Amino acid sequence: MAPRSEQQVPNKPQGDRRPVGRPKVVDTAQGSLAMLLNLVRTGTATTRQDLERHSELGRASVTDRLATLVLLGLLREGELGTASGGRAPRHMEFCADAAIIPVSIIEASSLAVGLADLGGNLIAEHHEAIDLAAAGPHSTLERLATLFKWMIEENARPAWGIGVALPGAIERTEPFAVPSVRPIQSWGEFPFAEQLTTRFGVPVFVRGGTQAMTMGEFRLGSAAGQSDMLFVNLGRTVSAGVISEGRLHRGAQGAAGLIGSTLVDGQTLDSGAGAEAISDEARRGARSGESRYLNDVLTRNGELSAVDVGHGAELSDEFCRALLSRVGRLVGEALAPLANLLNPSLIVLSGSVAQTGDTLLAAVREAVYRKSHPLVTRDLRIMRSQLGGSAGLAGAAQVVVEELFAQDLLREWVTLGSPLKSTRMLEALVSASGRLSAETVRPTPPVAKSTRPAIRRGGSS
Amino acid sequence: MSISGLGPHGERAAPADKINLSEVEEAAARKRRFAVAVILHTTTSDWSKQELAGIVTMLGRFGAAVVEVIDCGFDVHAQNDALRRLAKQKLDAVISIPIGNAKVADAHRALAATGTKVVLLDNGPTGLIPGTDYVSVVSGDNFGLGQTAAELLSPWIETGGQIGILSYAADFFATHEREIAFRKWMGDRRPDISIVRGKFQEPGQAAQVASALLDEHSALAGLFAVWDVPATIAARELRARGVKLAITTVDLGNEAAADLANDGLIRGIAAQQPYDQGVAVATITLQALLGKSVAPWIALPGLAVTADNVVEAYQVVWHVPAPEPVARLRLAAVRDQKR
Repeated sequence: MAPRSEQQVPNKPQGDRRPVGRPKVVDTAQGSLAMLLNLVRTGTATTRQDLERHSELGRASVTDRLATLVLLGLLREGELGTASGGRAPRHMEFCADAAIIPVSIIEASSLAVGLADLGGNLIAEHHEAIDLAAAGPHSTLERLATLFKWMIEENARPAWGIGVALPGAIERTEPFAVPSVRPIQSWGEFPFAEQLTTRFGVPVFVRGGTQAMTMGEFRLGSAAGQSDMLFVNLGRTVSAGVISEGRLHRGAQGAAGLIGSTLVDGQTLDSGAGAEAISDEARRGARSGESRYLNDVLTRNGELSAVDVGHGAELSDEFCRALLSRVGRLVGEALAPLANLLNPSLIVLSGSVAQTGDTLLAAVREAVYRKSHPLVTRDLRIMRSQLGGSAGLAGAAQVVVEELFAQDLLREWVTLGSPLKSTRMLEALVSASGRLSAETVRPTPPVAKSTRPAIRRGGSS
Repeated sequence: MSISGLGPHGERAAPADKINLSEVEEAAARKRRFAVAVILHTTTSDWSKQELAGIVTMLGRFGAAVVEVIDCGFDVHAQNDALRRLAKQKLDAVISIPIGNAKVADAHRALAATGTKVVLLDNGPTGLIPGTDYVSVVSGDNFGLGQTAAELLSPWIETGGQIGILSYAADFFATHEREIAFRKWMGDRRPDISIVRGKFQEPGQAAQVASALLDEHSALAGLFAVWDVPATIAARELRARGVKLAITTVDLGNEAAADLANDGLIRGIAAQQPYDQGVAVATITLQALLGKSVAPWIALPGLAVTADNVVEAYQVVWHVPAPEPVARLRLAAVRDQKR
């Protein structure tokens, strides 16, 4: 089966004509159940009358299928709609709370986890700082599993799938197949997705971080309702996600958007506009005394980040402002050719560097407008991400929802009431276990821990 | 102390002590005489009183009136009702501590949609977007507070010991962060310790929950309560049962401070700085009302408080001398040293 696009559309009969021949009864039932569920889930049709029209099924079939979906706990009767001459129609509601989707985005310096409902809406999230390179894959996995376990216990509902976004590009896989994840060179052959799959007993869907953020921003953030967007993740490295005509463009290998190696002013975008490059320049400015603010922060915290530079710029520190203007110009000049190529209606800047405030945003705008064709920039908006650090979590949730409710997969499990009972899921679990036992997991050296404090027994301190 | 935690959307914290009004902003604020309302989960706790004192002092200094203070009594519905009512009053700004998560998100969003600036304390409900649905979250470093509470409890627990967490059942970002950080610190530094948990719906249940935990786990050697009110209620219950174990918590309330100073069950407190937080949130509110871009997550570091430094910490946190029962102990210690 060919990998599907991220964009999942409810299954309407293709073309103008019905398929020729009479399908088997069981196929008809599963197909129509899946179709009706998706029509309600996506809000395309929610009353019986609308469902009949969109599905081209008869009234008796729709009534029968809806009753089945209610029994399976996937739909419920909703509120009364507006009457248009007669009895007010009853809306059907998708049971988005039937299960939960744990999601995570792991970046070089942070780990975020969240829970989403089956509508892909985040219902909880938590972000914490990590040093991914120092932590290594084993302890990163353990931390992620601990947080997932805690969140699932807090929520007391079953998980139907896990979505994870990792740094770098993730190769395309078949739906439900457990992907071999090698996003970070030092992780080697570590069976990250296999471990998660077997520990939690649910399918794990992995995407590149920027692609997940792009999905999140497209569905729930500033790009909601737009069809052409360029999403730029300004983190330690610089990467982009492209939504073209309402679809996420993943590329032949799933590696679309790796723009950090683009040369601008004789340097790569990563080395001129990445968070690490900004931190290096900030440290230089702090130590040389060019920035009093950064000097204060470095003295207090012992470290400096791009966000500190942003805070400095907001507090009118000239060094910080000049640095962010220069970075913004580099980013803008790299984006202008992409804007000319893709003609997006919206460019969204995200990542820690984008959090630095208005100075950078203004410089990006100025460079893009200056270097792009006037027709391309006529209605182009350039803005910061609305979802910020939540975009990756929201996007990972969207990925899982769209995979679980893809029409062909849904047909397989809809009569079972849960994707976890499907044959393909059971096969994926067996496959993950098999790969785990076959692979030799390289032991990771333990991270040095500080000495435990001495035991005190009673008495005042 | 630096800030350990990240914001509700993963933001890195802007330091609260660097946020000040310029002279031009001060003059502009005085001229415009803003009207602000404050919504708190409760107005009766020591934390709330100090938070409010910081807010009204700072706003009053620059010509802004606090026209209403609403006590929601930990009730989600009361908060939603208050927010909907305030949405009709066309105030300049509302400073609010969201009680729940998703349950109060819509009412906050609707208030912001009327043009009122919404500035949040401690909690950014999931789904609300900074810059659109609210201006900023101004908070204690809850992740850091949880880590500090763990570090303070650790020396009192023998190898292989068991501890309990008195956890708040509400879906509340600040207390979740404390618990997550507490568990993380213990997992990293004291993996020998096992952790059990009891949940309370409202602080008054802390005695019953602590008692039930102890009935089920008689070897319990320590407790972490996610803030001081349930900690002191649990301490009273445990004392009444003749149980002696170590408790750590968050917030330097008067009763907790006295227990700490008097060799009680409370052995350590990760203290927030509510007065300073109140000043910071008031400053951010004024800056937002003057059209200035502000950081979405502003955090204040916590203080690690033990019996050794409780008097000084009290002065820093409350901006007043420590109460007599707390100060008396320190005076006795000074006399002992001079003998």
